[in-house]
Amino acid sequence: MSLDAPRSADLDARSFATVAEELLDDVYGYLLYMTKNWALAEDLTSETFETALRRWKRFDPRRGTHRAWLLAIARSTALDWFRADSRRRKREERADAEDPRHDREPAFGEGFSAELEEALRALTAGEREVVALRVVLELDGDETAALLGISPTAVSTRLHRALAKLEERMRHHDAVA
Amino acid sequence: MTPSPDLIQELRASRPAAPADLRWRVRELAASEATPTAAPWSKLRLRLPARRFVLVALPAATVLALTTAGVLGLARSDAPSAEVLRGELAQTDKDSLESAVPETAPVQTETFGAGATPGAADAIAPDANRAQQISATLTVEVSDSDGVSDAAQKALDLTERLGGHVVSASVVTGEGANAAITLRVPVAKVQEAIVGLSALGSIVSQQVSIQDLQATLDQLERRERSVRAQIAVLVARLESEPLDAETRARLQARLQNLRAELRVLRRGLAGTRAEARMATIQLTVVTPESTGAVAPQSRLDRTLDEAVNVLVWEAVIALAILIIAAPFALVLLATWLGRRFYRRREEERLLATW
Repeated sequence: MSLDAPRSADLDARSFATVAEELLDDVYGYLLYMTKNWALAEDLTSETFETALRRWKRFDPRRGTHRAWLLAIARSTALDWFRADSRRRKREERADAEDPRHDREPAFGEGFSAELEEALRALTAGEREVVALRVVLELDGDETAALLGISPTAVSTRLHRALAKLEERMRHHDAVA
Repeated sequence: MTPSPDLIQELRASRPAAPADLRWRVRELAASEATPTAAPWSKLRLRLPARRFVLVALPAATVLALTTAGVLGLARSDAPSAEVLRGELAQTDKDSLESAVPETAPVQTETFGAGATPGAADAIAPDANRAQQISATLTVEVSDSDGVSDAAQKALDLTERLGGHVVSASVVTGEGANAAITLRVPVAKVQEAIVGLSALGSIVSQQVSIQDLQATLDQLERRERSVRAQIAVLVARLESEPLDAETRARLQARLQNLRAELRVLRRGLAGTRAEARMATIQLTVVTPESTGAVAPQSRLDRTLDEAVNVLVWEAVIALAILIIAAPFALVLLATWLGRRFYRRREEERLLATW
């Protein structure tokens, strides 16, 4: 089976509202995979679209699709949040006590089976990110590589490693059950 | 390892959808898009990617440099060539030098340029009845190095024949051959000397200068007569009159001073008369190579020369800027690369821990 999606030919001048409506699920899904926390994903999605609206005039369709552009902003927003959170936790020296990564609240929200959610939780953000981009959002290898700033080969490697880990976790969950 | 189709299918089937309240928030945000946020002039801003900017900027800078060189070259080609300028400057310097000489007496000067006839020196004739300091500067051009040697030898022979002598002589043969000879000849023979020296080659320049010394000589002679008379009176008083010791001592001191002044006056008179007896001639013998004479360039050649000069200067300035800016650019590049590497590492770490 192919993981590549047809390249979006949105080299047009659609309005921000149209683009936001069309790509909201993609951005939210990507951020949810990145943060594994639906509340945080919602906040970061809002922040992403606010930033996108401020930069809307600077979008150049010759340099990529609206989706790639929005996902790049979403990634930068998420990394900024990770960075700030990491600093905050270091400053407060309460790493494990209030680490949102360790809360048991259903992080991915509705639509995920318990075993899939458990397996996704075991992945790192980098692994979940590549799964989200390549499998869920169906970006092609080059687009993903450009977004992550790594080579297409590295994307492929990272994806296969993540899927293998995911499968392994799922199998383990089934065996335990 | 090929991923399980079931897993892929499940991942895609559970594709997250944005909750309704988030969708509503984003719609509200998008509704504010109608308000223009960009400045009116932002549409005029040229957006060029760095690579394209370099592709445009480099040829543009080259064209600008060449155009500047061409325009400046064309404008400067109207101006006289460097050699001519140097010649004019040299002449100006000489004029300045001459004007700086203290005017102890009126100086009569006559200058003749290339092509002057040997008889041109007759335009200023020495006055046999007055004491005059005569000096002449003469430049003649001969065809080659051998011509320089011949001319120098003939000049020395002529000087000897006219009863004069050589003050200094410098003869260079071979490449850039030239001779510089300073002669002293009796004033009565100066015209003959100039005519003879002018015949050694084609005259490049000739200058004769006459300074009247008669007034100085007359003044010195008057003073000498006066001093001698005073000395005679003092001697007579000292020999004939009964004088007290103090007066005698005072008169003797005065006599000594007058005798010392007389000695100085006599030396001055002798020197002035000697100046008036002999004329000084500075002869320079040159070849076309030693003068650096070149055929006048065409307008196109001058334009090209000037354009190349401007280009060389542009290159020098560009190189200087490059040399000055290069260390800063390297530091900036290293900083940028380091920061990028650090951020990449940090991102990897964050993505691995979350």
